[in-house]
Amino acid sequence: MIRRKLRPGVIGGAVILYLALIGMVEAFEDRFIISNVIGLGTTLVLVTLIGTGYLASKPAEEHHDPPALAGLVTGAFAGLFIAVCVVILEAMLSAGIQVRNVFVSVTPGLLNVLEFGAGKILGPILLVIVGAALGAAAGALRTLAVEWRGAIVYGLSMVLGISLAEPLLVGVIDGLSIPSDWLYDAARGGLTVTGTIITLVAAGVGRWFWLRKRDTVVQFRAHMPDDRRRKYSRVAAGVIIGVLVALPWIVGTFISDVLGTVGLYVLLGLGLNIVVGYAGLLDLGYVAFFAVGAYATGVLTSTASFLVTSNRDQFAAHGFLNFWVALPVVVVIAVIIGAAIGAPVLRLRGDYLAIVTLGFGEIIRTLVLSDWLAPYLGGAQGLLRVPPAPPNSWNLRDPRNLYYLIMAFGLIGALVAYRLKDSRVGRAWAAMREDEDVAEAMGVSVVRYKLLAFAIGAGVGSLGGVFFAAKIGSIFPNSFSLLVSINVLSVIILGGIGSIPGVVIGAFVLVGLPEFLREFGEFRLLIYGAILVGIMILRPEGLIPNKRRLRELHVADQEAQMGELVTEEPA
Amino acid sequence: MKRSRTGKLLLVVAAFAMIAAACGGGSTATPDKCTSDPFGCVEVKAGTPITVGTLLVISGPNAALGQDSQNGVVLAADYLDGTFDAKSGQIDGHDISFDNQDDGCSAEGGQTGAQALASNPDVVGVIGTSCSSAAQGVADKILSDKGIVLISPSNTGPALTSPSQHQPFYLRTAHNDKLQGAAVADFAYNELGARTAATIHDGSPYADGLQQVFADTFQQLGGTITAQEAIQVGETDFTSVLTSIGTSTPDVLYYPIFAAEGALITQQARQTAGLENATLIGSDGMTSTDFLNAAGSAADGMYLSGPDLTAFGGDQSFYTNDFLPAYRAQFGADPAAVFHAHAYDATNMLFAAIKEVAIDSKGDPATDSSGTIFVPRTALKDALFATSNFPGITGNLTCNADGDCQTTATIAMVQVENGAMTAPVWSKQMTLGN
Amino acid sequence: MNAAPSPSGSTRRIPFERLPVRRIILVALSLAIIYGVVAGSAATLRLGQFTGANWRQLVINGVARGSVYALIAIGYTLVYGVLFMINFAHGEVFTSGTYAAYFVAVGFAGSGFLNTHPLVSIAILLVISMTVSMVVAIVLERLAYRPLRGAPRLVPLITAIGASLFLQYTMRGLFGANVRSYPEIDVLQGTWNIFGTEILRKQAIVIVSALVLWIVLYLVVAKTRTGRSMRAVGEDREIAALMGIDVDRTIVATFAIGGALAGAAGILFVFVFNQVIFIMGFLPGLKAFTAAVLGGIGSISGAAVGGLVLGILEAVGPNLFLTGAAVPSPNQLQPVVAFGILVLVLIFLPGGFFGAAGDERA
Repeated sequence: MIRRKLRPGVIGGAVILYLALIGMVEAFEDRFIISNVIGLGTTLVLVTLIGTGYLASKPAEEHHDPPALAGLVTGAFAGLFIAVCVVILEAMLSAGIQVRNVFVSVTPGLLNVLEFGAGKILGPILLVIVGAALGAAAGALRTLAVEWRGAIVYGLSMVLGISLAEPLLVGVIDGLSIPSDWLYDAARGGLTVTGTIITLVAAGVGRWFWLRKRDTVVQFRAHMPDDRRRKYSRVAAGVIIGVLVALPWIVGTFISDVLGTVGLYVLLGLGLNIVVGYAGLLDLGYVAFFAVGAYATGVLTSTASFLVTSNRDQFAAHGFLNFWVALPVVVVIAVIIGAAIGAPVLRLRGDYLAIVTLGFGEIIRTLVLSDWLAPYLGGAQGLLRVPPAPPNSWNLRDPRNLYYLIMAFGLIGALVAYRLKDSRVGRAWAAMREDEDVAEAMGVSVVRYKLLAFAIGAGVGSLGGVFFAAKIGSIFPNSFSLLVSINVLSVIILGGIGSIPGVVIGAFVLVGLPEFLREFGEFRLLIYGAILVGIMILRPEGLIPNKRRLRELHVADQEAQMGELVTEEPA
Repeated sequence: MKRSRTGKLLLVVAAFAMIAAACGGGSTATPDKCTSDPFGCVEVKAGTPITVGTLLVISGPNAALGQDSQNGVVLAADYLDGTFDAKSGQIDGHDISFDNQDDGCSAEGGQTGAQALASNPDVVGVIGTSCSSAAQGVADKILSDKGIVLISPSNTGPALTSPSQHQPFYLRTAHNDKLQGAAVADFAYNELGARTAATIHDGSPYADGLQQVFADTFQQLGGTITAQEAIQVGETDFTSVLTSIGTSTPDVLYYPIFAAEGALITQQARQTAGLENATLIGSDGMTSTDFLNAAGSAADGMYLSGPDLTAFGGDQSFYTNDFLPAYRAQFGADPAAVFHAHAYDATNMLFAAIKEVAIDSKGDPATDSSGTIFVPRTALKDALFATSNFPGITGNLTCNADGDCQTTATIAMVQVENGAMTAPVWSKQMTLGN
Repeated sequence: MNAAPSPSGSTRRIPFERLPVRRIILVALSLAIIYGVVAGSAATLRLGQFTGANWRQLVINGVARGSVYALIAIGYTLVYGVLFMINFAHGEVFTSGTYAAYFVAVGFAGSGFLNTHPLVSIAILLVISMTVSMVVAIVLERLAYRPLRGAPRLVPLITAIGASLFLQYTMRGLFGANVRSYPEIDVLQGTWNIFGTEILRKQAIVIVSALVLWIVLYLVVAKTRTGRSMRAVGEDREIAALMGIDVDRTIVATFAIGGALAGAAGILFVFVFNQVIFIMGFLPGLKAFTAAVLGGIGSISGAAVGGLVLGILEAVGPNLFLTGAAVPSPNQLQPVVAFGILVLVLIFLPGGFFGAAGDERA
C-alpha cells in the first residue's frame, strides 16, 4: 500500500513546490485568512496536503486500505517531498548559490513560510508531521457519515470563502450599516478569531441540517401544489428584483463599478452570442466593434474631439452631438462596418474565419493607435474628455447610477437576443449552424443571414463600446487588444454557448471575480487560465447550458449508448 | 388575491429601499479639526497600522515597472526607522500596511483600482498611478472626489498638471515630460551639435509625449526632424523602421521607450545602413541594467537621459551606498527603471506630511504614544502641496499649485561605456514654465 | 416593355436577386486593395527614398523572420492536420524551451565555454530547447487536450487559450517579469558576403537551419511510418484506428514533433534577437498561426510558404506600400498590411495557398 501511495504523495508535494516557486506562497502569505493566526500562503500548503490525502484515500475496488491510514501515508509522502525540497534549497542558499537568478521566488521569506516559521531543522520535520496528520484527517473524513463530512468540509470552505471575499462583503455589510468588526479585522485583513468560530459553526450546522433534511425538502418541493409553487417563485422573483434594484446602494461604489464592467461584458457577450452561438460563425475579432462603438462615441461627444476644435466655445459643455443623439448614430455606423467586415469573409469556414476576424480586430486596434489617424482618433495619447451621459442631474459618472443605465440596456439586449433565438431569423441561423449546404438547399439564403448575424452582432457590441466610453471618459487604444475578444468568447463559452442566462453568469465569473481578487494582481491571469482549462475539462457545455446544445454535445455519448443497446447479445 | 401579491412584492422592494437609505455611519468622538475638514479624517485606532494605498501596474507586460515602483514604496516604509533592515518603521506608534491595487496601465484598470481604494475608509494616501492613462480623468478624479491624495511616481504626461485639468488632490514626483524632452533636445542641438534628428515611440502616452516635446523643442532651436516613427510593443524586428529612418541619415535618433524594444532597436540600428554615424539617445525608461545587458556592446556610446540620482540633497553617496544595496538585497535584482526612486521620494513625502498633520483625539499633534490618531484629509493635502525643498533622491522637491513636485529637475545625460552607465556627462536644471 | 423571350426561355431583363452583388463587392474590394498596393509601391519607388541595397536588406530580413514563423507555423499545422484544433498554447511551447536553454547558455557563458566551443554549445542549447519544448507540448496534450478529444471545436480552443495564459504566467512567476538577455556568441556576430550582398551571419544561419529542418520534417511526414500514421489519423481517425494505428501514440508524436520544431525555432529566434521574456511567444505564435492559415492550414508546405510570405510582407510591405502614400509612421501599420493581404488572399483562395479551395473543414 505504501508504494501505491507514493505517486499521489509526490504529486501533492510537487503541487506545493509549484505554488512556492511561482511566488504564490510567499506573496499570498501577507494576506491573513485568520488575522494574526494564519496567512493565505500557509493555507494553500495545508489545503494541498488535505486535498492530496482526501483524493488518495478514495476507496478503490481492488484494495481495501483504511482511508485514514491511506491518507496518512500519502500526506506524509507529500510532506516529505516538500521537506526535502526545502532542505535542498536551504542548503543551496547557505552555500551562496544564487538560486534567485533562475527561480526568482526562492527567498528566505518563502522558506520561512514553508517551514511554518520553525527554522531549517524543525521546519522540514514539521512538514512531514503536518502532512501526515492532515492526510490522516482527510482520510478519516471519508469514514464519517455524510452529514458530518459535509458539515466539516462546508464549514471550513466557508471560512476560507468568507475570508477571501472580504473586499466584497465588507462593502455590503458596511453599506447595510451593520458593524463588521466582529467578523473582519479591518486593519490587518482576515477574519477575527470570533468571526472564524462563528462562521465555522454557523456554516457547519447549517450544512448538517441541510444534508439531514435534504430529502424531505426535495420531496416537499416536488409535491407542492402548482399554485403554491407559483406564489413562491413570484415572491422569490420579487426579492431578486428588489435586490437587483437596490444593489448599488447596498454594495457601495467599488462593487457597483465592477458590476458596471460586468454589465458591459454581458452586452458584449450577448452580441457575440448571436454571431458565434446562434449563427455558428467563429469570430475572434469582436473587439473591433467594441472599439468602433467607443471611438465613434468619443469622436461624436468628446469636447476634445476634432469635430469641435474649430468651434470650441459653442461646444464647451458637450461635444458635437448629445450622447443620446450620438447613440443611434454609433450603432448604425457599427452595423455598416459589421456588414462590411462580413462581406468578404462569407465564403470562409471555421478556422479561416477565425483568423480573418482576428485580423480585423488587430487592424482596428492598429488603426486607432496609429499616428496616421491620430489627428482624428487621438493616437497614443487617446481620446479624452468624453462626458458622461447627460442629463447631468442624473450624475451618471457615479458607478451606482451608471449601473442602472447599463442594466437597462443589458435587459434590452437580452430581450432582443431572446426574441431572435426562436424567430424565423434564429431558426435560419440554427439551420445554417448545423449544415450550411443543406440550409442553402432548403432555401435559407446563407449570405443574407450571415451578414445579418455580423451586422446585429456589431450593433450590440458597439453598445458596449458606447457605455465604456461614457463610463470611463478616456479612450486609449490599449483597451482594445486581442485579450478583450478572448475574454468575451470565454464568457459565452463558460456560461454556455447560445444561452442568455449563461452569458450573465459567465460575465460574473470571468469578469467580476478577477476584480474581487485584485489583490492577487500578478496571479490573476494565471488563475484565470487555470479556471478556463478546468471548466472546459470538467463541464464543457458551460455553466448554464442551452438545452439543445447540451444534447448536441452529448450526441456522441448517446450514439455510443444506442450502439451498445443494439449490439447487445440477446439474453 | 392579486392585489395582495403585488402588495407583498412592493413591500419587499420598499423594505430593501429603506435599508439602503439607512446608510451613513455613526461617528465616534472626533476632534474639531476633523469635523471642520471638508473631507473629514482618517481614524487610525490604537494598535492598528496606517494604510497606504498603491495603484501601480503589477500585471501584464509592464509589470516590471510597477513592481519597481512598489519596491521603492516598501523601501521607504523600511527606512522610517532609519535603517534598511527589511522591517518597516512606524509613524506615531503605528505600523504601515499597504493596500496594493493594479492599475493595469489602462483607464479602466485605473478606474476600478481607484474605486477599490476610494471605498477603503482606512486609506490615508495613494502612491500611483504607473501609467498616465490610468490617472488622467479617472484615478485622479475619483480619489480627489473622496479627498484621498494621489502621488504619482511615474506619470509624466503634461496634461495631468495643466491648470485646466488638474485635480485638487493629485501630485506627482516624476518630472513633467516637458522638462526631460526639452533637456534632451537642448543637449542634442547645443552639446552634440546635431541638426537633424529622428524619433521613435512605442504607442504609449509616455513615449509619444516625450518624443513630441523633444521634436518641438528641437525644431524651435533650429533643427530639422527627418522622421517620426512608431513601433509596436512586443515586436522584435525593427529593421524596416530603421531602414526607413536611415534613408535620411539623421544625426540623432531619439527613442524614449522601454528596455525590451529599446535594446533591440539599439542593436539593430548599429547594423542599419544610414544609421552608422547616428547618435542614439534614450530616456529613463531604459536606464536599467536589464537594458544594458540586453543591448550588450551595441549600447556603447549612446546617451541616456534621466533625473540626476546622484544629487541627493548634498549626500551624494546615499543612493549608491545605502539605497541600491538594500534594493538588491530585498528584491534580488537591480532596479528595472528609475521610477522606484520617484516612488521612494513620493512615499517619504507622504510620511512627512502625515507626521506633520496627524492629531490625537484631543486635537493635539500626535506622538508615538498617542494611541488612536486622526489624519485630516484636506490638511494632509495642503501639507503636501506646501512641500518645499524636500530632500529626495531624485532632487530637492518643491510642489507647485498644479501638483508638479519636480518643478525644477536636474536632467542628466549619461553615456554608456563598456556596458555600464557613466557619471553624468552633462546636466541641466530645467524649470517648468520655461 | 420589350421582354422578348430569348431562345432559352429566360427574359432578357436580369432580376435583381440574380445579380451577383456579393461577387461585385468582393471584386471591388480586391481591386481597391490591389490598386492601393500598386499605386503606393509605384509612388514609393518613384520617391527613390530607398536604394536597391535597402530593398535587398529588407527582403533578406523578411526571409529570416519568415523562416522562424515557418518553423512555428509547421507546428500549428501539424497539430491541426491531425486534431483539427488550433493549439493557442504553441507560442508558450516556443518560449519554454528558449527559457530552459537560456539558463544553460548563461552557465556556458560564465565559464567561457560558449565562445571556445561555439558549435558544441549551440548544439547542446538546441537539444535542450527542443527537448523541453517537446516535453511541454506532450504534457499539454496529455492534461489539457486529451480529455476533450470529442468535443466541438470551440471547447479545445478555449482550453488552449487558458493553457496559454496559464503557461505564460507560470513562467512569469518562476522566472520573473524582467527581460533577460542571451549572452552573445562571438562566432555569430558579423556578416558574410554572399553573392555580393552583406548578410548578417545570424540571418544566414537562421535561414539555412530552417530550410534544413523543413526538409527533414517533410521527409519524416512523407516517408516514415509515424508520418504516415499522422496523415492517416488526420484523414479519418476511426478508420485509422480500425487499421491498427495507435491513435493516441500518433497524436503524442505529432505534438512532440511540433514542440521540437518550436524549440528549434526558439533558439534561432534568440540568435537574432537575444532576448527572452515570458510573453515572447504571444506575437510570434499569432503570426505563425496567420502564416499557417495563409498557406492552407493542414499543409506543411503551405505553412512554410505562408511563413516566408508573411515575413517578407512584414519586412517590405509597410515601407513599400505606404511611404509613397505619405502615410505618417508607415511601419506602425504593419499588422494592417499583413492582415489586409491575408484577407485579399483568402477572398480568392478561401483555403489558403495550398488548401483545397472551398475546403469543407468547418
